[in-house]
Amino acid sequence: MIAGDLYYLMLFLFSTGMVSVFFTRSNANLTNCIAHSIALMGSIVAILCAIAIFVQGKVDVVLLVMLPFGPIGSSIDNLSAYFLLILGVVGVATSIYAYGYSREYYTCRLPLMAGLYNAFLLSMVLVFTVGHVVAFIIAWEVMSVVSFFLVNHEYEKKGNTRSAYIYIVMTHLGTVFIITAFLLLAVGAGSMDFSQLKGSLVSENLRNVIFVCVLIGFGTKAGMVPVHIWLPRAHPAAPSHVSALMSGVMLKTAIYGMCRFFLEFLGAGPVWWGTLILVIGIITAVIGVLYAFIEHDIKRLLAYSSVENIGIILLGIGAGMVFMSKQQPIWAGVAFSAALYHVFNHALFKSLSFMGAGAVLQATHTKDIEKLGGLIKKMPYTAVFCLVSSLAIAALPPLNGFISEWLTFQVLLFLPHALAGITGKVFSAVLIALLGLVGALAAACFVTAFGITFLAKPRSKHAKEAIEAAPTMLVAMGMLAVLCIVLGLWPRGMLAILSQTLKSYPGIDIQGLVMHDWYVLSSPPGPSDGGISTVAIILLLLSGCALAMLLHSIFGKGKVEAGETWTCGIVPNYHMEYTATGFSKSIRMVFKSIVHSHDETLVNASDNQYHGRKLFYQVRIRYLFDSTLYRPINNAIIRTAHFMKSIQTGSVQLYVGYIMAVTVVILIWSTGW
Amino acid sequence: MNIVLIAIQVLGVILLAPLVSGVIKTTKARLQNRRGPSLFQVYFDLIKLLQKDSVVSPTVSWIFKIAPYIYFAGAAAAAALVPVVATNSSSVFDFFTLIYLLALGRFFLVLASLDAGSAFGGMGGAREIFIAILVEPALLLSMLTVAFKAQTTNLGLMASIVESSPLSLAYVFAAIAFFIVLIAETGRIPVDNPDTHLELTMIHEGMVLEYSGRNLALIFWATAVKQLIMMLLFILLFLPGNVFGSTFFVGIVLKVILVAVVIGIAETSTNKLRLFKVPSFLAVSCLLSLLALVAQ
Repeated sequence: MIAGDLYYLMLFLFSTGMVSVFFTRSNANLTNCIAHSIALMGSIVAILCAIAIFVQGKVDVVLLVMLPFGPIGSSIDNLSAYFLLILGVVGVATSIYAYGYSREYYTCRLPLMAGLYNAFLLSMVLVFTVGHVVAFIIAWEVMSVVSFFLVNHEYEKKGNTRSAYIYIVMTHLGTVFIITAFLLLAVGAGSMDFSQLKGSLVSENLRNVIFVCVLIGFGTKAGMVPVHIWLPRAHPAAPSHVSALMSGVMLKTAIYGMCRFFLEFLGAGPVWWGTLILVIGIITAVIGVLYAFIEHDIKRLLAYSSVENIGIILLGIGAGMVFMSKQQPIWAGVAFSAALYHVFNHALFKSLSFMGAGAVLQATHTKDIEKLGGLIKKMPYTAVFCLVSSLAIAALPPLNGFISEWLTFQVLLFLPHALAGITGKVFSAVLIALLGLVGALAAACFVTAFGITFLAKPRSKHAKEAIEAAPTMLVAMGMLAVLCIVLGLWPRGMLAILSQTLKSYPGIDIQGLVMHDWYVLSSPPGPSDGGISTVAIILLLLSGCALAMLLHSIFGKGKVEAGETWTCGIVPNYHMEYTATGFSKSIRMVFKSIVHSHDETLVNASDNQYHGRKLFYQVRIRYLFDSTLYRPINNAIIRTAHFMKSIQTGSVQLYVGYIMAVTVVILIWSTGW
Repeated sequence: MNIVLIAIQVLGVILLAPLVSGVIKTTKARLQNRRGPSLFQVYFDLIKLLQKDSVVSPTVSWIFKIAPYIYFAGAAAAAALVPVVATNSSSVFDFFTLIYLLALGRFFLVLASLDAGSAFGGMGGAREIFIAILVEPALLLSMLTVAFKAQTTNLGLMASIVESSPLSLAYVFAAIAFFIVLIAETGRIPVDNPDTHLELTMIHEGMVLEYSGRNLALIFWATAVKQLIMMLLFILLFLPGNVFGSTFFVGIVLKVILVAVVIGIAETSTNKLRLFKVPSFLAVSCLLSLLALVAQ
């Protein structure tokens, strides 16, 4: 029972980390070292625990006894172990990163942050592993509240508190739906234990209600459009290593919840469940990536990109549910593998990007990429790691993003197997085309983000004086970058884990994916019906490079002379460089029905009318869902409050009058006239 | 054995690609009543550039230096995936891999365009990426007509399905749709003008403005390779009929020349579109692909 022991050890470590800050708070350096070392150990143990569960199978643990509703125990299965593994990997990286990054916070409530950091990890571990409705809800709430405080950690900065409140409101809105879904199931099953919850025990209509509740509830946490509005506000406000955890792992708690419900509790449902998720998934992906592209706050850009990736994951899940309801276990297996592979990939490259953004933020004290530039010379290692993450997010071979995106494409291509007829074909074609659009936009978005941040000349004094990040931060980023490459080259390793994860679910068969060589990823049925070989891709690219070098030096090496950039004879300066706003201008124009942007040029003509005028160009974005959905709701709530205000005057006599009136009405009503 | 075939194919595509550009140029010259340069002028230009020294801006970083290699490598790797000579259905020949390998090269080239810090580069890069974004859905949609039929994205299997199927309305629609994509992807009129770097019209040429000498030769060559790859895909996936026959090579060479001539005619007879008309141009391609799906 080594897995069980490791599990208790992990809980103990995270709890110790949480408490340790009370004893070390007088010394910031000590707090930093101890709290984050304990978090690092806890994360390593989380990885070991997950591996142990994969090896020895389900493990039963008891968390709390002597409660009025019976002991809370759980049997941690492979699905939990998979998400625990993600948490462990990202947690190791963020904890190492935190050593260096926390120096920023030595004067800014570091003990609180470090303690909450451990609590955040602990709550996520519990969300992934507990097997009891009440325990799950408690862990879920603790996670939300702890992350609320982390988002609000730098409350002195303008806007952070507002972001945090939007976050807590939205996340509670989601929790309402999650609790509803759980209670409906629990009432049907007559038990609060996960193993007893079965969708077959409730009526068909109730199952549909539960499905919708799950989708809205967990969708809110995942950042699904249109309930995503908290995400681009909350993630940038948190300290960067926490942002990395929030994007990398916390969003995945929602995906975990969805998998738990759809695979285990509810089982295969009607086709419209999957179709609905597919539609929402593609809308989420397109909206997310469009807003990411036009954003020039680096952390908000990454947050919107998370929305996009959640959309891609939802595509996999939706397709999987369509295949499940049509009894096609092989394709359902591929679909869920695509989704879960992307979950892991996104955890890796998005944490890496947030860490890179944090390193840049620490070095330059700005999140606005328009003020950066030229950092590749000041921060060479950070630049390499950010390039890797950008390539991975853009789903370019030979990195990991390509593998999961390829799988998603394959799944969508075979969607007509389940959705017969011309409608199914056109539906699947449109999904594929839009996913292609999303991929291209993501590439464009990260070309801009990387290019404007790291290349050309510095655009501000801060960028000019930037220095390379601390070694611990580089180590953490390097680890994740290496993992991005490994998962891109060795799909079989990940697929083996996924086949362990998904093997126990009846509607799913993933054997077809893992029967090939370690470097081959193929789409069933049949070994030769299409696939990719990562080794072939890398070999082809290397030989192409070799060929290019050969051609380059075929007539000797040649001299390389330095000559200033051609700017029509003017001495080049940073004002001439292209900006991120300029880069996305054409996309803002083409997609203006979604991205309502308002560009204005302000001319300061106070000096000379013809020469030396100052031009300011500013873009204001009107966010579609903010203005069409949330603003009206907000206004309605305020109007209602105003109405309520007129009957709540504060005068006690009036309240007594109300009570009187109500009592009289009830008395009359109860006597039946 | 297979590796040898792939190597032959890659070298063949790389060596013949400039010639195809020459054919297009000659067609255009003849249609404009000029004699035009020699058919092999593109080779002479490349050889000239390969002998020249480079001028590199001190602003640039290593991205600028490796970008031409990666661009070329992406194109060369994509050339290996087109099922011309090496036509078995092993798992290498995948459509998405091909598209994303080309995208890898483009990613680095656009980064390099920002690296020198000039407005020309950034403008070219921004436009290139703008068109790439619009092309992507059109490209995938046009491919789907064949992919749904073949039930795979393996290029070898897709090509053999096309080979054995009769000409139908679906293929006509899909072929026109892909031809539009081909024009846009290879930077031809009416989307981009490959013969100019006038700042109002340039896209690709603007993006590579800072390159010179050997690096520029690599980029030009890779662009020619990319163009030939797109033409080969057009021929193999959208022109049904007996392609893989006894007259396979003759047939494919004749078809490439034919497509090159058609591109030349199209370039001479149309004007360059305004950049913001390009979305509608590609929307036509998307609609045709959807029609092809419905007609199938």
